[in-house]
This record gives sequence, C-alpha cells and structure tokens, in this order.
Amino acid sequence: MRLNSLALQHAIFYTLAIAIAGGTAVFAGAYLLSPLAFLIGTSALAVIGCAGIASAVGAAWRMRASAVRAAAIADDRAELKGRLSTIVALANHQARGSLWAYLVEDTLGHQDQFAGAVIERRRVSRAIYPLAGAIVLAMLAIPISKIKHAPQIASGSGQDDLTVDLDDLHLRPADSGDESGMQVMADAATMRRLEDKLAREGAANGEASGNSLNQLVNRARDMAGHFQNKLTGQQAASKQRLNLRLADAGGDQDQKEIHRAPETPKNRHSDVAGQFKQDQPNSNREIDLPREDDSRQPDSKPSPSGYGEQGAEADAGKDNPGNQGNSATDHKIQQSGENGGNGGAAHGMGADPDSLFGAPAAAKLGTEGFEIAIEARPVDHGAKGAGHAYVAPKVRAPLSVTQEPDEPVARAAVPAEDRTTIKRVFER
Amino acid sequence: MSDVQAETPTVADFARTFRRIQAEIHKLIVGHEQAVEELLSALFVGGHVLIEGVPGTGKTTLVKTLGLALNLSFNRIQFTVDLMPADITGTRVILSGDDGRREFTFQPGPVFCHILLGDEINRATPKTQSALLEAMAELQVTVAGTTYRLKPPYFVMATLNPIEMEGTYPLPEAQLDRFMFKVRLNYPGEGELTRIIASTTGPEEAGIEAVFHATEAPGRIEALKRLVRGVMVAPAMETYAARLVRTTQPQNSRFVTDEAGAVHDEMVNRYVMFGSSPRGAQALILGAKVHALLDGRANIAREDIEYVAVAALAHRIILNYAALSDGIDAAHIVERVIKSVRAGKL
Repeated sequence: MRLNSLALQHAIFYTLAIAIAGGTAVFAGAYLLSPLAFLIGTSALAVIGCAGIASAVGAAWRMRASAVRAAAIADDRAELKGRLSTIVALANHQARGSLWAYLVEDTLGHQDQFAGAVIERRRVSRAIYPLAGAIVLAMLAIPISKIKHAPQIASGSGQDDLTVDLDDLHLRPADSGDESGMQVMADAATMRRLEDKLAREGAANGEASGNSLNQLVNRARDMAGHFQNKLTGQQAASKQRLNLRLADAGGDQDQKEIHRAPETPKNRHSDVAGQFKQDQPNSNREIDLPREDDSRQPDSKPSPSGYGEQGAEADAGKDNPGNQGNSATDHKIQQSGENGGNGGAAHGMGADPDSLFGAPAAAKLGTEGFEIAIEARPVDHGAKGAGHAYVAPKVRAPLSVTQEPDEPVARAAVPAEDRTTIKRVFER
Repeated sequence: MSDVQAETPTVADFARTFRRIQAEIHKLIVGHEQAVEELLSALFVGGHVLIEGVPGTGKTTLVKTLGLALNLSFNRIQFTVDLMPADITGTRVILSGDDGRREFTFQPGPVFCHILLGDEINRATPKTQSALLEAMAELQVTVAGTTYRLKPPYFVMATLNPIEMEGTYPLPEAQLDRFMFKVRLNYPGEGELTRIIASTTGPEEAGIEAVFHATEAPGRIEALKRLVRGVMVAPAMETYAARLVRTTQPQNSRFVTDEAGAVHDEMVNRYVMFGSSPRGAQALILGAKVHALLDGRANIAREDIEYVAVAALAHRIILNYAALSDGIDAAHIVERVIKSVRAGKL
C-alpha cells in the first residue's frame, strides 16, 4: 500500500515538477528570448517535458508493487532471504509440501523485520524535492516579468517627434498582428514618393521572398511573437505612438505634380505590409488591406538585403531580447491634416491651433492619407551586436517653390481623440 | 552413536545431522570445508560428485571417511586402463551348487554398494567409464539382459587427477553431466598443512564415529533426502536458476535458439563452446535446497543458488581453445554469468 502510494506520488510530483519547471522556462523565455529562439526553445522544452513526464509515469508504473513484488522488496530490505516471496508465491499453490507450516512459522518469527514502517519508512516520495525545486524556480522567475515590463522605447530621449528623410527610410513588411504604430506626417508629394517607394520596395521584397522556408520561418516567428505577447502582456504597454515627420530632401524638384496618382493595384497592394488608407473627396473611402495575411504572402516577405542598414538594424533589434513586444511594431504612417485637394508641406502650417476645430464644412475639400507599417523607431539600446542604436537625423524640409502657404482649409469634423494630435501638429 | 532419532526429520534435524557428519569428516580431513559441504549436499539430494585434485590432497581419504561417518556400505574401484565394464558392474559366473550342478550366477560388481569411490576414473577407457552411467543415472545395472536394482542411497564419488594426463581418457561430456557437482580440492594452506602433519603423523589416528546405526542409516538418509526435496522454491528462483543456465550457453551456438529477454554475456560467447545442460539447473536448485536447510530455511533464496553455482555448472561448461589459450576456466565463466544475470535484474 505504501509502496504504491509512493509510486503514485512519484508520478504526480514529477509530472507537476516538470510542468512547473517547463512553464517557468517558457515564461522566462517569453521575456528573454527572441520569437524564433523562443519558439525553438519552447518546442524543445515541450518535447523534453513530454518525454520526462512519460518517463516519470513509466517509472512510477514500474515502481508499483504487486503482492509478489512487495514481498520481494521486503525480502531484500529485511534480509529475509526469500521467505516472504516464497510464501506469497506459493500461497495459492496446491502442492506446498510438508515444510509449508515451518516456512510460515519461520517467517512469522521475523515479523518485526518486515513491518511496513521498517521496510519503507518514507510516506512521501523523494519526488517532492524536484517539485519543490520547480516551485522555487517558478518563484524566482517572477521578478523577470517585473523587470522586463519596462517600456522599450526610449521615451525619455525626447524623440517622440522625429523627422527623417525619405531617402534614409528603409521599409520592410510589418509583422502581422502588431497593431502598435507610429504616426507619420509629411506633405502630399513626400507621401507620393513614399507611396512609390513602398511599391518599389514591396515589389523587390516580393521577388526576394519566394523562399518558402523563409515564409515558414516568418510564420513561426509570428506565431511565437503572438504567444510571447500573450504570455508577457507587454504588447499594449509597449505600443507607444511616435510621430514621425517625413521630409523629402531630394525630391523637391520633381514634386510639381502633387495630385495623387491614380490608384493602381500595385500601390494598393500591401507589399509593404500595413494599412493604406486613402480618403478621396466625396467618397471618403478607406482601404484597409489585410495586414496579417498580406505580410504572410510570399511576395510580401522582406528581402534581408533590401532592408538596408536601417532594416537590418530593425531586424537585429527585433531579435534583441530587450526589444520584445516592440520588435514587430508596424508604424502607421498617416498623412496628417487635411489639404484642400492640393495638399502640401504648408498644410496646417501657420494655422491657428485654437480655431482648428469648428463646424465641419458642407463638403470635404479633399483629404488623402494613408497608414503604413514601417520598421523604424528609436530604441533605448542597440540591437545585439549592432553597437549603438540608429537614430534618424532630424531634417527640416523647406517648402517647394511651387507650394503655396496656408490655404484655407475646410473644416471637418475631427474626432475628439485625434484633436490633441492635430493640435500638436499645427502648433509646430 | 547418533542422537538423530526423529522418524520424520525436521529442518533442525537436518542441519544437526549434516553438521555432525561434517564434524566427523573433519576429524581426518583438514580444510576443504566447502568441498565437504558440497559432497554432503550431493549425497542428500541423490547426486554424485566428481572430485578433482592433485595427488595427496585427500580425495580418497575424504570419500572413505564419509563412508565411515555414514556407516554405509562402501566400495572402491581403482580405475586403470585395463579395467573392463564387467569389473565394475559384475558378471555372470559359473558356480557349482550344493547338488553339483553348475549354473550361471550373477556376481555383483563393486558398483553394488551405497557409496562407491571411483579412483582416478579418467584412467579407464571410455567404455568402462560408461559402465557407471546406468548405475549413476538410474540406480540400476543391466547385465546379460537382467536388470539389477541398486539400493538407495547410492552415491558415486569419482576422483580425477588433473596432472599426469598421459594415458588418460577424459570423461565423456555425457558422463560428466551425470555428476551433480564437481568439487575441486586445492592444496591446503600452511595452517591446514600443519594440522595435517600433526593429526596424521602421531601415534594415534583420529577415530571416526558413525553418525547412524548401520541398519538405520539408509532409512535416515532417505528421510533426509525427502526433507530436502520438500524445500519450497518460488517461481522467481526457478526462473533465476534457468536464466543462469541459459546464460552459460553461447549465443552463437547452433544448439541455442535465441529468445527475447535472454541475457547474453560477451565472455560466454567468446570462450564457451557448449553451455550447461538442463541438469545444471536441476543441480542448482537441489544444491540450493540443501544450503537453505542448513540455514534453517524451508525456501531457497538467490544466495543459495549462487553458493552452489560454480560446483553445479562449471564442469558442464565446455570451453573452446580460446579460453584455454587465455587461461580462462569454467569457474570464471560461471562467476561472470552470475554477475551478468544479477545485472539483468531478474
């Protein structure tokens, strides 16, 4: 009875110990590892854990004691030289012989040697120690979550509002499921060039991303990232909106055509994963291309070589344990403000912020803007092995000679939650 | 005379009788405690013993002393190369009756006794050696178509001289197998030698006192043999003995069928030509029973089996030339087999 109880405890304690230790390792891994490493580690842990549990249960099954085995154990431990085993084995035997009575009597004479408490003193299996160890380990892992909950973006660096040159901007598809973002502001021409760039790099990425292995790796990474985010709960905390002001230092001369190019499948295509939102006059239609699915398209996969320094750095930063939760951030580029059909860098500049929000105009004069996911943001520490974090240079884009300053802007109903942002934009 | 009077002996009676016989033997035989114990064990389970030893180690004395201590009829045959089977079993001779008629009458040979010593059995031809086979195995002798029963207890002890191999005939394996134990008498140690000198060169010889009355000795011994047979054996012990014997058989032998879970030993595969026969397993269990009774138990344990393993199995293992060249003997193989089977955690 006691032996079987110990066997049962062995199975339960070891199973719990393995489960707790494994869970702790997964939990810690979610904070400390990159998605891919986390995925590999978790898979390995799952296999090892399953094998360990199976082994523990098997061992417990082998430890279970039938009457014959219990007698054999008692014989061994009490040095009864097979007396108990023989009695148990031959108890139901028909021809036990003339010495049966002697054997029983002789064995009873050693009764004090094979009492239960003598044969097996333990009431609790030694497997309690691994279980206790696993619990301690789990408790020790709790501080990891507190340490790593700190925001990853260097909010204290004063770079909530960044200005970068479009030529310095390298784009890559956003990781699916990441809804954090960055607000990007630029004039319409710059946005056009950005759109073209997105299309170009998207096509380049599409050509380079035909490798199904990479696709699988990306999927695995996405899945691991989701899982990590669920475990750590860091995604919401790390989503910090950052205003990114785009400038186009080299494109002023060919920006006379500032009206939007006709919408083509190419520029609609979310090769550069993310959202593309375009508000046409009168239609106010919004195109939300599926982010997650598109990012998993073969043609939307990033080409590592196409990322350039920033892209590579972004990727490296993604693998940096310190950037978990932000690594897959897609930054929404959104054209801020509204222009009267001809938009421009002067859009909003010089307007009185106090009079921004009035009664909406009867008809929309025209707006255009889109959101796009990019992988560019300041981080508080560099990617692993990449030295210092790259911080985009701040560039002030001058107005084009063809641009006109401050045209009246038709009032539109501005959502209350966006007013602060718009107000900040106009205050600049 | 004997104080062993119980009609139905008990375990305690057996142990006491056994120790008394041992003590009587050791009045003359110095040392060789295990050999004497194995000798008596074979006697009490109806087996026969092959005694191997260099000259002068007390082989013949040991057997003669046993006969005296048991008070049983005792014969000795000195095997020589010209010894004929009829010299052992007996033969029909023409005798004249009181009425003057002559007729063939069976004249029993020396095999008709309780304790038979076959001295230097390997000096006789195989044909003569084989004359003992029927007597040893079936306790009967067939001469001229007539079968004669031998009176129990019947106990054959044969001695072998391991040196002087010239002009000898090694025992056939079949006959070797019929000996339950092979007991080896080694040279005595210095202390034992001193005692031998003291006890055998003085003016008085040690007197051997018979443990049984001559008339009741056979009955007593048969009763004790039945007691030994009554010792209980758990199935696990039978399996253990079977596995020991099975492990002595080389895996690559054409006479061995491979089976799942069998324990194989590399040393056995390398050095053994033929392993033990099933008689080896019987010898293991029977010898273990005696050892258990001597320990006051009515059941056998693994220790009992291992205690008699070398004596029961070594002479049944036929080694190959590699073993001879490497100086491996059968006792090493048996000890190795015990370790292997133990490691197998039966």
